[in-house]
Amino acid sequence: MKVRKDIVRGDETVPVIAEHVEGDRWRVRVGENVLELGAHALPGGGVRLVQENGDDRQVRTVHGVAAGQDLIVRLDGRTHKLSPPAGRGPGGSAGGDGMILAPMTGTVLKVECQPGDTVAADQTLIVLSAMKMEHKLTAGVAGTVQSVDTEVGGTVEQGAILVVVEPEAQNG
Amino acid sequence: MVLLPMAKNPPFRRVLIANRGEIAVRVARGLRELGIESIAVHSDCDARCAHVLAADHAVALGGDVAADSYLDFDKILGAAKQTGADAIHPGYGFLSENAQFVRAVRDAGLTFLGPNPEAMDRLGSKKSAREEAIAAGVPVIPGTEKDLSDEELVKVGHEIGVPLMVKASAGGGGRGMRRVDRLEDLPEAIAAGRREAKAGFGDDRMILERAVTPARHIEIQVIGDLHGQVYSLHERECSVQRRHQKVLEEAPSAVVDPDLRQRMGDAAVALCQRVGYDNAGTCEFLLDDDGNFYFLEVNTRLQVEHPVTELVTGVDLVHLQVHVAAGGKLDDLLADRDLTPRGHSIEARICAESPEQGYLPAAGLLRLAHEAKGPGIRVDTGVYTGWEVPVHYDSMLAKLIVWAPTREMACTRLSQALADTAYLGIPTNIDFLRRIVDDPAFRNFELSIDMLDHRPELAAGPSDPPDDLTLAAAVLAQAVAPQATGGGSAASAGRAAAQSTAIWQDLNGFRSFGGRR
Repeated sequence: MKVRKDIVRGDETVPVIAEHVEGDRWRVRVGENVLELGAHALPGGGVRLVQENGDDRQVRTVHGVAAGQDLIVRLDGRTHKLSPPAGRGPGGSAGGDGMILAPMTGTVLKVECQPGDTVAADQTLIVLSAMKMEHKLTAGVAGTVQSVDTEVGGTVEQGAILVVVEPEAQNG
Repeated sequence: MVLLPMAKNPPFRRVLIANRGEIAVRVARGLRELGIESIAVHSDCDARCAHVLAADHAVALGGDVAADSYLDFDKILGAAKQTGADAIHPGYGFLSENAQFVRAVRDAGLTFLGPNPEAMDRLGSKKSAREEAIAAGVPVIPGTEKDLSDEELVKVGHEIGVPLMVKASAGGGGRGMRRVDRLEDLPEAIAAGRREAKAGFGDDRMILERAVTPARHIEIQVIGDLHGQVYSLHERECSVQRRHQKVLEEAPSAVVDPDLRQRMGDAAVALCQRVGYDNAGTCEFLLDDDGNFYFLEVNTRLQVEHPVTELVTGVDLVHLQVHVAAGGKLDDLLADRDLTPRGHSIEARICAESPEQGYLPAAGLLRLAHEAKGPGIRVDTGVYTGWEVPVHYDSMLAKLIVWAPTREMACTRLSQALADTAYLGIPTNIDFLRRIVDDPAFRNFELSIDMLDHRPELAAGPSDPPDDLTLAAAVLAQAVAPQATGGGSAASAGRAAAQSTAIWQDLNGFRSFGGRR
């Protein structure tokens, strides 16, 4: 599972990509920074977050909710409201960078590509069903399919990365 | 507690709680402990409010705004009749200090769990309360007592000297109130005060008082019975205020010694006995730096901040209210008890408002309500995860109250408990409360009622952007616990169920890091 959210911080938009490694371990890219974190949902709500620094393990509880387009997070006794760039949701479809994200929570109806396929920018790769409507997700960029991280009948969260396309070289 | 035997033979069968939210929940709990059934009343938008869920019975009043629901005599008395209630608890706010309502309750043959209306009348307006205080020998702030013309007010103002407070005689909540630091500004302040008071309460009578500054707000909790006995349950300090609304309250006060406690308690008891007061009430005073105290007003009800008194004295004020309303003697319960404050308690009012944005209040969906737990932590709440906070009533969501053996430990405990509290989805003042509790001035009990006016940075908060870990945590919180999104679709509900199963399956992994700490 891989999830991407673009978050505005100050003057910049920071892409945050969370990738499930195994068990409760996640690799989260925040811009250029890579954080290796343990994350575990707690029965009473909230997520236990574990950060390893050598032999030391720092454990915190984070509470977060999605409110419309925003993420509201409470960590270390402070609340932050995090917003996506204007005009694009925290998830969203192909931004032309080869990452095909689920624009909303839904069920996958069709997967029309597999790793290694050469695809065109306007080619439909995934068909998603949500709110009784079908949504066609296109590649957004011409290139080669690198990975497909979903299957027909699966449910996907808003912002989940479904397909990664390696854009073809500009001079190629 | 000596009171619990009362539960074997409760004096009332059913009590209607003419209120909503946290105080109605708290009263319902107190009644249940005494074996008394509670009846909730609710407006349309409050049909699933926490107090409705906490009570034994519920009656819909209809309407949304308070005037059509919680302030409507006929609807409330009708609900009491319909459900066979034999008493009414008013909570605070709404009809709690309305002597006319108390008379209507009496006329309907029911018991009011609050003071008698005659005492309420005598303490109701600031002016008459002040006159009663003077007659009882209670110190008052130097100022005017009679209705005076503009010219007479200016003349007296010169005699008292600056700084002065110009106040509406019928006022409350700071409306019609002005501070005057230069005598030449006095005529304009009187005129402006009259205009505001006329618009606010239809009564433009004004009084003048010397401004006590810097001042602390110290109040005495009293409880009286129907046999003329009045007990002081000592002081609370509520100096951290914004526009006369209390933000943090504590007991005991760090600056009140046993001698001052005794003198302030005696003054409060003398005033209450003079007016024939019964049930719970609070006498409010200002305390200056020289240890002089001055009477402000009496709140003829159970107050928002009553829990801090309960935690340091060990009494349950709702139990006492029931006991005295049923004609019980306070001596039977309190005469043999040491009521000396023990340890320290602080209450923080959690409100749906944004101090960072000019204290803008907010209504809406509370997507997550996670309360702090632990030794010495009490949460009186009127909300829960998924509750839609209505726009029609006040913005207080819950009260976080801590107890610890010392004030320093209580501050630390409150700070930690605030950090552990997560009310997400609408803005709250939680981070603001924590900034105050962590502030050196608060820790050193350098408190005054205008403290927040001088410290705007406490409201504004830090402006540093969230760090990378916060961004990562926000995204992981969604990825790992999709049930927290409040999405509500069937698909996400199904996933939430699957997820919670997964939590238990993965507990071994959880233990592996837990065990190393």
